[in-house]
Amino acid sequence: MSATVAAPATPAPPSAGARGTDARAPLTGARVARRVRGVLLGLLAVVIALLWAFPVYWMVLSSLLPNARLRSTTPTFFPTGATLGNYRSVLSGDSFTSALGMSLAITGLTVVAVLVFAFFAALAISRFRFRGRLTFVVAVLFVQMLPAEGLFIAQYRMLSSANLLNSVVGVSILYTAAVVPFTIWMLRGFVAGVPIELEEAAMVDGLSRTKAFLRITFPLLAPGLVASGVYAFLQAWNEFTVALVALPAESARTLPLWLRSFLASSASRGVDWGEVMAASTLIAVPVIVFFLLVQGRMTSGLVSGAVKG
Amino acid sequence: MKIVRIAAAGAAVALALTACSSGDDGGSSGSDGTAEAADITLWLAGADTPDELRDYLKTTFEEENPGSTLTIEEQDWNDLVTKLTTALPDENNTPDVVEIGNTQSPTFTTIGAFRDLTPLYDELGGDDLLPSFVEVGQADGKNYALPYYFGSRYMFYRPDVWSAAGVEKPTTLAEFGDAVTALNNGTQSGFAIGGQDWRNGISWVFANGGELATEDGGEWTSTLSDPNTITGLEQWQAVYEGASNVPATERDVAYWDFLNDGTDGAAPAAATIMAPGWARWSIGDLTTNDDGEEVRDGMADTSKFGIFALPGTDGGLAPVFAGGSNIAISAKSQHPELSENLLRIIFSEEYQTMLGENGLGPANAQYVDSLGDDEFATTMIETAAASKLTPAAPGWAAVEAAFVYEELFQAIAEGGDVTALAAEYDERITPMLNGS
Amino acid sequence: MPSTEAPTAPPAAPPARPTPRRRRRGPGAAPYVLIVPALAVLLAGLGYPLFWQAVTSLQEFGLAQQFGQPPTFVGLDNYARIFSDERLWAVVVRSILFCLVNAFATVGIGVLLALLMKAVHPAIRIVLQIGLLLAWAMPMVAAVTVWKWLFDWRTGVINWVLVQMGFDRYEGHTWLAQPLSFFFVATVIIVWMSVPFVALSVYAALTQVSDEVLEAARIDGAGPTRIFWHITLPLVRPVLSIVLLLQIIWDLRVFAQIRLLQDAGAPVSETNLLGNFIFELGIGRQDFAGAAAVSIFVLALTVLISWPYVRNLLKEDA
Repeated sequence: MSATVAAPATPAPPSAGARGTDARAPLTGARVARRVRGVLLGLLAVVIALLWAFPVYWMVLSSLLPNARLRSTTPTFFPTGATLGNYRSVLSGDSFTSALGMSLAITGLTVVAVLVFAFFAALAISRFRFRGRLTFVVAVLFVQMLPAEGLFIAQYRMLSSANLLNSVVGVSILYTAAVVPFTIWMLRGFVAGVPIELEEAAMVDGLSRTKAFLRITFPLLAPGLVASGVYAFLQAWNEFTVALVALPAESARTLPLWLRSFLASSASRGVDWGEVMAASTLIAVPVIVFFLLVQGRMTSGLVSGAVKG
Repeated sequence: MKIVRIAAAGAAVALALTACSSGDDGGSSGSDGTAEAADITLWLAGADTPDELRDYLKTTFEEENPGSTLTIEEQDWNDLVTKLTTALPDENNTPDVVEIGNTQSPTFTTIGAFRDLTPLYDELGGDDLLPSFVEVGQADGKNYALPYYFGSRYMFYRPDVWSAAGVEKPTTLAEFGDAVTALNNGTQSGFAIGGQDWRNGISWVFANGGELATEDGGEWTSTLSDPNTITGLEQWQAVYEGASNVPATERDVAYWDFLNDGTDGAAPAAATIMAPGWARWSIGDLTTNDDGEEVRDGMADTSKFGIFALPGTDGGLAPVFAGGSNIAISAKSQHPELSENLLRIIFSEEYQTMLGENGLGPANAQYVDSLGDDEFATTMIETAAASKLTPAAPGWAAVEAAFVYEELFQAIAEGGDVTALAAEYDERITPMLNGS
Repeated sequence: MPSTEAPTAPPAAPPARPTPRRRRRGPGAAPYVLIVPALAVLLAGLGYPLFWQAVTSLQEFGLAQQFGQPPTFVGLDNYARIFSDERLWAVVVRSILFCLVNAFATVGIGVLLALLMKAVHPAIRIVLQIGLLLAWAMPMVAAVTVWKWLFDWRTGVINWVLVQMGFDRYEGHTWLAQPLSFFFVATVIIVWMSVPFVALSVYAALTQVSDEVLEAARIDGAGPTRIFWHITLPLVRPVLSIVLLLQIIWDLRVFAQIRLLQDAGAPVSETNLLGNFIFELGIGRQDFAGAAAVSIFVLALTVLISWPYVRNLLKEDA
């Protein structure tokens, strides 16, 4: 995981050679003190990491325990006597797979649309001066300040009249609109950070404008695009208030709606924590997998950006 | 790209309508008594209707209406009002038939969201239908929503704990209060109830002849300051303070946990709780089911687990708040004849009996025998007859959405002055009830 | 600190890429073509709803109107009604306080964690990053559910741990009962969820701070605190200010977390934030006109609060 917000101003590139100086420094008292401090900081970092991950651990752990155990007032901290029973009952029926399919389709479409639209817009506002540019920039920033809780009825009416209720496209339009403003801001910094001279130099070397863009500029933008993609993915994957009105049919449920309805039907009979946690785990897993997948890309993108910059 | 069923169905409906209006030799419309074949949608709330009943509705409906199909969608209770608010006015996407919480009915009946069912009333059961539910579904003397099923609340208790303390099963409400107060030992609640839990708490109001609100010429008035209501509230306050160790801020508590033995055989957290009938399946000793999972045995050991009905002030039964729901047809439904046919199936002897066999109180009093004759069934039938509902005011849903009674009951549970609180909340609630 | 990409970058700025903005000879249609898709989706997804909100806020619009009765124009009546409602002002004050506390706590903790990541061994850094990533990847409904359970008065781990540590008064303690402790729990959850984003963003910015510059400062005798305030902070300031702005915008819009926590028995009227207030007004009470008026007011309020930041950002951008 690396760049998540583009620096509107591009700070100085790390210079080669600076890294090595520390290692060659002579062993002094100050250095010992620094090492002790390093160990303490390391410990602190591990403790914080564990604390931060604890709720996640708790979720996975509980998903493996039988419900009667979870209701007890003395918590169980380790998965002794673990069972997959919760997962079995959660996955019985096809509601999970249908919700998974819906979520994947909506999230996929949203991520692609957001990246393309936001990238174009970022290109426009950072590479061109044009009439209405400032208005557009300000509008983009302010439009995300509109509270979403009052929009249900308008959004429903709009989708209904366009015959897009319960459709992947309808929700994806709403999600894209919700996510695009922020990603434009994010990418704008990245685009502005790529010196146009690089591209021009490549063109002097005989590359076409498109090729110069693809070979030189695009790789430098990769971390920004990945970061925007991650953001769009998370938003679309987790959203449920818009989905609630835009996808009223049971067959069109996304995963968060599925979890919510699962929670609701469970709550009316006394929450079956084990099953709820199993359901939550199932929703979190694709996100974690996705994060692990893009992590490598992001880092390599950043490294190549740093080297070429 | 997956455009899901309803959207496609909506388009089909639109096409069918155009076809209908342009062609004059097309399929028959409803005029000769047979409805045009179509797909209709039924919204059920929550998971209470078992699969067996859903399947029955589908196959029977499709048999009796050849060419038509029934789609059943399950909606969450939490989101039901939101979804009804958006979907019911939308003729292309409205569900045709909807289940709705009994106390939510007035919000929609008063603004014409539902089809007038008065002409069908007698055919569907007439005066045999549960009166309190029929009443809550009425507006301007017309029937817009009819009862679907009712549930009931029981007092679940631990006979072993009660007899160990030498306390007898009570016969009046006052005796009940004394008994559970005596049973409370500080760690084990005599009667576990959360302070905000007004749905259980209003039983004390009803038992004393009190009302939450009354209507006069279309104007609703909150009547918390009525002397009977005050008596009930004060009695409840005494019971909560004396018998319950559950925090005043709790409402939807999984009370049934309180009745079970603690880990390693520790004493249960409460001697008595109040809960709907299905709670029994979360109560009992631990056992292992066919899948090898630890579950409760459903109160198999009658020496440790039992139920009784909350007694009234004079020895009869206290009117408790009845859970359950109503059913209605959307006014914007494009297939009213088919929808009415579905209601005919729902109110048929066969389906009503199936409801009873699954532990859901049938709307039609003639078929309550189907609940069986065990302790639960007999108590349920008794309490249903004495049950009461919250006021059928247009603004009732708003009051619930703002959690006003939760706050009132918490304040009472925390030892507030009931008369002063009643006056304060009357002032707050009256305008809300009238929808302003 | 002005942006290094501004044509008039001050000479004192640390070594930066020279990237003077190029003014083109008349951009032509290109930029407009480029913004069309984004503009179209914004108009479709937010434009119409915004328009509907604005119109509805000037009408009498309740459930009857939603079910087809024609709405009547009432001018600014809804605003007058809303503004004279003292509950609105209580909610506004509460929301702003909550938003500021959360935004600054999130950014503060995020910066500290980013510095920590920079200071520790790469292997430990990855452990920390994974811990944060896991929290970030948790779906919101799942996260709030887990936290609600951790804070549960009867079966919650937090009370259990506190009692084990000797704080007996936490036996059966209800965290969500009092507004203040309710907001403490809400803050814990929101900070927990938002810190990973801030920490990882700031860390990414920190990795771009030249080691040479830091080394030079160290040789000049600057202590770590001085280096942080005078070199590191100014260099990551652009990232910090946009992250802070985003947190403020997002924290003012907190809705679902509060709603889910309220289900656990909080005094609702004392814990509502603006989003919940709008929701209760609109969906709960079917006062759609009132909800629309509050929405428009919140939009204006957010614009107002964030204006100084936005102006700064624009200045750096110009």
